[in-house]
Amino acid sequence: MNWNMILYTVLNTTFVFLFAPLIVSLIKKVKAMCQGRRGTPLLQTYFQLFKLFKKEIVYSDNSSFIMRISPYLNIAFLLVASIFIPIVFIPAQESGFGNIILFLYLMVCARFFMALSGLDAGSTFGNMGSSREMTIASIIEPTTLMACAALAFILKTTDIPEMFGTVLSGSILQYPTLFLVASSLFIILIVETARVPVDNPETHLELTMVHEAMILEQSGPKLALMELSYGIKQLILMAFLINILFPWGMATDTTLSGILISVASFIIKALLLAVAMGVFESFFAKIRFFRLPDFFMIAFFLSFVTIVFELLS
Amino acid sequence: METLFLSGCSLLLLACVLPFIARITPGKTARRIALFVLLSGLACITTASLICFLSGAECIRLLYSLTPELVFDIHFDSLSSFFISLIGFVSFCTALYSFNYIEHGGTEKRRLVLTALLPLFILSMIMVVAADNMFGFLFFWEIMSISSFLLMMYDREKAETQKAGIFYFVMTQFGTLFLFIAFLLIYRYTNTFDIKATDALPQVVKSFAFIAIFIGFGTKAGIIPFHKWLPYAHSVAPSNVSALMSGVMLKVAIYGLCRFAFDVLQPELWWGFVLLAFGTVSALLGVIYALKEHDLKKLLAYHSIENIGIIVVGLGLYVIFNYYGLEIPANLSLVGALFHTLNHAVFKSLLFMTAGSVVQATGTRNIEKMGGLVKKMPVTAVLFLIGSCAISALPPLNGFASEIMIFQAYLESFELNNPVVEIVMVIGLAAFALMSALAAACFVKAFGVVFLAKPRSREAGKAREVSFGMLAGPAILALTCIVLGVFSFQIISGIGFDLPVPNMLPVSILLLLIILIFAGLLKLFHAPVRISETWGCGIAKQTPAMEYTATGFSEPIVTIFRLIFRTKKSNEKEYFDSAESITKRTEAKITTFKFFEERIYMPLAHLFMKIAAFISQKHNKDLETFMVYAFVTIVLLLVTAGFWL
Repeated sequence: MNWNMILYTVLNTTFVFLFAPLIVSLIKKVKAMCQGRRGTPLLQTYFQLFKLFKKEIVYSDNSSFIMRISPYLNIAFLLVASIFIPIVFIPAQESGFGNIILFLYLMVCARFFMALSGLDAGSTFGNMGSSREMTIASIIEPTTLMACAALAFILKTTDIPEMFGTVLSGSILQYPTLFLVASSLFIILIVETARVPVDNPETHLELTMVHEAMILEQSGPKLALMELSYGIKQLILMAFLINILFPWGMATDTTLSGILISVASFIIKALLLAVAMGVFESFFAKIRFFRLPDFFMIAFFLSFVTIVFELLS
Repeated sequence: METLFLSGCSLLLLACVLPFIARITPGKTARRIALFVLLSGLACITTASLICFLSGAECIRLLYSLTPELVFDIHFDSLSSFFISLIGFVSFCTALYSFNYIEHGGTEKRRLVLTALLPLFILSMIMVVAADNMFGFLFFWEIMSISSFLLMMYDREKAETQKAGIFYFVMTQFGTLFLFIAFLLIYRYTNTFDIKATDALPQVVKSFAFIAIFIGFGTKAGIIPFHKWLPYAHSVAPSNVSALMSGVMLKVAIYGLCRFAFDVLQPELWWGFVLLAFGTVSALLGVIYALKEHDLKKLLAYHSIENIGIIVVGLGLYVIFNYYGLEIPANLSLVGALFHTLNHAVFKSLLFMTAGSVVQATGTRNIEKMGGLVKKMPVTAVLFLIGSCAISALPPLNGFASEIMIFQAYLESFELNNPVVEIVMVIGLAAFALMSALAAACFVKAFGVVFLAKPRSREAGKAREVSFGMLAGPAILALTCIVLGVFSFQIISGIGFDLPVPNMLPVSILLLLIILIFAGLLKLFHAPVRISETWGCGIAKQTPAMEYTATGFSEPIVTIFRLIFRTKKSNEKEYFDSAESITKRTEAKITTFKFFEERIYMPLAHLFMKIAAFISQKHNKDLETFMVYAFVTIVLLLVTAGFWL
């Protein structure tokens, strides 16, 4: 851990931490506008989090320490995972942060504890959410791994910063198959962030929820931490997709102007992707739960085809 | 070193006979003394083998020579000292747990037998690994099988135990038969029973020897389709015995596989694919069957099959990468497989012991009747949680540390430059990822249903935390899970491998830091806390019956993988009238088809029963017939002897 790495860690996590709620509100806004509503202000998520931080915590009398520690674990795992996705600049290679498998499994950790906290209060909604979440997880993970394998096969590395560096120093046209993987990454993004064809975060019926049902029993600052970690997960997955395809503008050294340019360019790209996600969501209806594997198979197939292309070329 | 090791072994032998010599004293004291002797013996053995492993020293000692060929001797190289350290350490923790565990249940006499057989079982496993001669190997292998069989039959009156016992005994002898074949094949060409590298076997014979070795050790390790004894035996055995059987005995089979397939015979490419295929199938089916299981110990047993599958996948990848001359992925997969062997031994015995505590506290193995135990048994719950996290491969614990090496090896297969093999690898990778995700789902279910929410039965409501002795053993293992995970990079480089695995130490430090920052922040805010009831849409009273059951939890996954489970839902109705409007009786059933038992094991068993019936018919004859039998036998013997000599 040298100073460069510490600077990177602090800047990157702070940026992710501060920027994540904005994306959450932006997607809501886009969806509202698609439905002909005005929607909430862009800073609404920040207000919401602030409000939650001031409220009291209510625990169920059935709940145990799992309920109490899982918000901390969730945000810790996701913030550490965010270090694996360089946004402010690409750090030096020997950092130790960047292995793609470790990145995925940090997110699995967060999910594991969230699912446990869903079971903790003994509420049927939470149980149902956890059960569905783990089902979805167990079919999306092979797909995610397949997409990662495709990336490793194309870019010949398993280190995420190195992947970004390779695409940045070359050109996206050198790796046309990246577009195929990117489409499967987009599907993974939709699934992992509990968006419409898979899950509906805004439904008024707990019965149809997955992610929201699991955190139903959380309240006050703990709920705020859960919401925040959801935002962070969404942002880092978006950043992964963006920086694999279009890493333009990313700095590879630590100059102030370089960092500013990479942050600014990332913000623009992230806003565009968020708009795209909002629009995409508005065009779809929720898929029946047991039809989801078919949807995931598309992503799986795309990654698999990429690998076959890569092997034959 | 040899002296320390041998004195440890003699202490173990002493522990075997102590309970019987000391019958005058009250049984409890005799058992305590025996277990203390066992603990000190294991401490000696573990220290000796660890020193051997770390210093790389080899020690060889002849113990007893029956004939010049058939000898008992010991030989430590790095592979065997690694396995002996593993056996010693895990057995140590299990012995610690046994102090209080064996005082529950069973009669006085049976507890004494249990205490006496435990050291014998452990000693035989250690001697199998230490043996340098196939005769000694098989001798102790059989002692290991028989002592574990006797230990398993602790509750021998129960029909369930008897069924498990028959399965175990037949299967284990089936495996040993193949080992005999393999060893005789090797002896035929090398003319020695010493376990040492050879290339004297012709190609075809070598292949046959490998198949026999694979079936022999595969049966003991529980590789699908030779696995059926495993869930039965592990679930009925006392929990300290299941911890040893699952944590340690399966590893002895892995040792045998490594020793004979990789060391004695030089592996060929197709062996790698065989190992990879069987490993993947075991890993995947193991976890899929585990998801459906409601018996806590059977669930863990199926996870043993899964983890043995992971280890075998690692071994298979090693053979393939080694053949293509890729050093880094080959080392990654071999070290990953062996590291996972250690890790599985640690977390699986941890899980079996804590499960044993839960079973003892609630009096049932059915997880649907547990629930809410986190408040009654908080320490056991935390220990079980650590084990669950480790087996679900969550960073930064040890299960992840070894699985990532195999993942990494898979991902590096882009260096192979052979499209067909690479496609096979990619399919294997997808199956591996699926297995890993299902394991996490299964342990969310297991931990959630056993420990969280409200107690689902009166027994669970009355459960109490187990005594200190039954927490100490698992606690050491839980700590080991954390240490082996967080310092995995340092450990791997410490023993001299430079492999591309991530350093988990900074990740863990950062995790801890962030958790502390947020916990501190919330403390600063002084958020008021209120305890209230679970929100239930305005329902008057929430009862445990409203909670999700384990069946309900895994139902979506079972539905998605219905092709594998072969679930059949039937709904039969009988009516009073011809218009079918008034129902007399309805019967709804959900059945799963036990593919291996109903399609492979039972038909085979029936076949042998038929043959046996045929032969016993021939027995039922008069004196003349028997004289004819004797005559035919003598003629055949003479002809064969004349032909042979």
